[in-house]
Amino acid sequence: MNRTIGLITANYSLAGFGTVGEERPSASIPFGGRYRLMDFALSNMVNSRIQTVGMITPYRYRSIIDHIGAGKEWDLDRKDGGLYILPGTIYGFRENDGHFLFRDFQQNRRYFQISGDYVLASSGTLVASIDYQPMIARHEFTGRGVTLLYRRADPEARKKGYYLTFDDKGRVTSIRHDDRGEYLFLDSFIMNKALLLRLMSDYGNLGQMDLMDILGMIVDDIAMEGYFFDGYVAEMDGISGYLRSSLELMDRSVRRELFDPDRKILTKIHDTPPAMYTADSRVRSSLVAAGCYVEGAVENSIVFRSVRIEKGAVVKNCVIMDKCVIKSGVHLENVICDRSVTVSPNTSIQGTPESPCVLPKGGVV
Amino acid sequence: MRKKECVAMLLAGGQGSRLGVLTEKIAKPAVSFGGKYRMIDFSLSNCVNSGIDTVGVLIQYKPTLLNRYLGTGAAWDLDAAWGGVHILPPYATQTGGEWYEGTADAIYHNIDFIDEYDPEYVLILSGDHLYQMDYNLMLDYHKLMNADLTVAVKTVPWEEASRFGIMSVDDEMRITRFSEKPKEPDSNLASMGIYIFTWKTLRAALLADHEDAGSEKDFGKNIIPTLLGQKRALYAYVFSGYWKDVGTIPSYYSTQMELLDPKAEFRLMDTRMHILSNLNEAPSSFIGEDAEVSHSMVCNGCEIYGTVVNSILSPGVTVEKGAVVRDSILLPDSTVGEGAVVEKTILNERSAIAPGAKFGGRNVITVVGDGSTMEVEA
Repeated sequence: MNRTIGLITANYSLAGFGTVGEERPSASIPFGGRYRLMDFALSNMVNSRIQTVGMITPYRYRSIIDHIGAGKEWDLDRKDGGLYILPGTIYGFRENDGHFLFRDFQQNRRYFQISGDYVLASSGTLVASIDYQPMIARHEFTGRGVTLLYRRADPEARKKGYYLTFDDKGRVTSIRHDDRGEYLFLDSFIMNKALLLRLMSDYGNLGQMDLMDILGMIVDDIAMEGYFFDGYVAEMDGISGYLRSSLELMDRSVRRELFDPDRKILTKIHDTPPAMYTADSRVRSSLVAAGCYVEGAVENSIVFRSVRIEKGAVVKNCVIMDKCVIKSGVHLENVICDRSVTVSPNTSIQGTPESPCVLPKGGVV
Repeated sequence: MRKKECVAMLLAGGQGSRLGVLTEKIAKPAVSFGGKYRMIDFSLSNCVNSGIDTVGVLIQYKPTLLNRYLGTGAAWDLDAAWGGVHILPPYATQTGGEWYEGTADAIYHNIDFIDEYDPEYVLILSGDHLYQMDYNLMLDYHKLMNADLTVAVKTVPWEEASRFGIMSVDDEMRITRFSEKPKEPDSNLASMGIYIFTWKTLRAALLADHEDAGSEKDFGKNIIPTLLGQKRALYAYVFSGYWKDVGTIPSYYSTQMELLDPKAEFRLMDTRMHILSNLNEAPSSFIGEDAEVSHSMVCNGCEIYGTVVNSILSPGVTVEKGAVVRDSILLPDSTVGEGAVVEKTILNERSAIAPGAKFGGRNVITVVGDGSTMEVEA
């Protein structure tokens, strides 16, 4: 009997993703050649033996449902537990740092009454490989009301988020939204379910707030602990962060950690044939998915499924999403091609790492 | 009970001894093929694409991997509430247990299974052929001819006919004679080992054959000749598409290498023929800074730091720095160590080539497995 149920939130959009973020809920943003951001939260939960997972969807949820279906790929098509689609409220958070809209919890109160003693929550855009088992064990052992996942941040660097402070016994003394601090909350926590249900009753009129803000308000009344994570986290701070995180996958140690064969990241299966490289292809330092047909040159790039890169094309520092066609003689540098983009012959497009050029979904350039 | 019009029975119990090292630990239909597929995928996908949703898979030899691979059949959409994929091993009865003695015997022992679905027709398949076929067209032909048995045949060059089971036919394509590897063939229609039987006919033939102590309980040797002798309606169905038997090392090797040709007759990239498999969980492949990949097919989960030319890399293959892989087929999760050279070699699943080692390269196909190596004339 599993005492922890999972919850993944997706009713928000990340800031600074431009057309990539307008096309779809942020949790559906493609990443790493064949995944969507939500695959990491989903896989982390099932790899940590969570068998009941609720997914709070945004108003425009088509791509999420299309992707997760009945949860089959994650073994969440269960008689006991399994996947629960939880409709989010009509306006989610847009481009701020809140990922746990309290009224989404309130609206789905019934889900939290199904079974279990603890709720393990993660945002749908947390990209890391996390084994929650020791965190759950720790939460059970300490008996605190909430255990918050966090990592150390560079106090000199600016990064918006929720920052924590602790007393010398490790108890959380403050949770505040800021752009710098020492301990950054990592978009994931475990909470006693009885406490969550009580908060829903006690703070029923604070539905528009982020649960983190509410916890920050009552930090002195509830025993909260932190759980330190020192693994790799792919930062999703805007489109330049997305490009940077994508290119970090070229690091063998990052790939080994994120795609550990013992903790597989699962995704929707497409049954794509193997990738083909012709005699003319020149591919260096790149991640290439199945179904691609590569005749051209690819360097330091992520190429998603079923992309065609024709002869004489050069793709450098790019993210090319599914089903794009890069015609002959094209030169792309620091470009993000959303899905199904066709780049006409001999076109040259250059962005910069700080400001990559984004070609919107389905377009012909 | 809902009736099924046609139930497929896939013969997957054979050892496949001609594949040597590759079938040391696994049954032939489970052998990796074309990168992310296993041999059984092609027949299973054909079933699904032909709307046949009930498939019995007859197993006997080293079935562990095959069983795990098939799972619930979900990978092929064969996890059905009524129908789907069924793994059918030999079983014990009150009078003792018996192995499947021959292809027909395997079906005989599963008469009850087929009866459950009360089909009009039974499609008999094997799991070691590369082809794409709409079985419905063959079934329509079977019905049109009012046949008891329809045998799919392929026109082969006359000079090769003596290597096959040859069907002689009359003007109406009715089979008049069946000869296994005839020295002087009078026809060049080779049996593809794909049969559609009217179940009533096959059922009776299996019961009779079981009583015959001298029978080898084999479709080709016993059932078909018996039905011919009874002047039953046996017809040949000529299949004009691509079809290759890949049950020997030379054909296993050359058929896969042909897939690398962009103009290959059998195109895995062709989106119209959806070949399903159950090897889909690996991340994208990484091509390293000093790597070189050309004229090759690479599956997900590979890590390439060396040189790969004219080769097929199955899921999870690692080619370390300075290694050279040429004209080779690396099966799932195999590794080529730093500086190793591998030429014209089939590297078995999960096998590793030590750093600096050299394999293959002469005019033979080298098959490398866990601690055993064999060479086969190309």
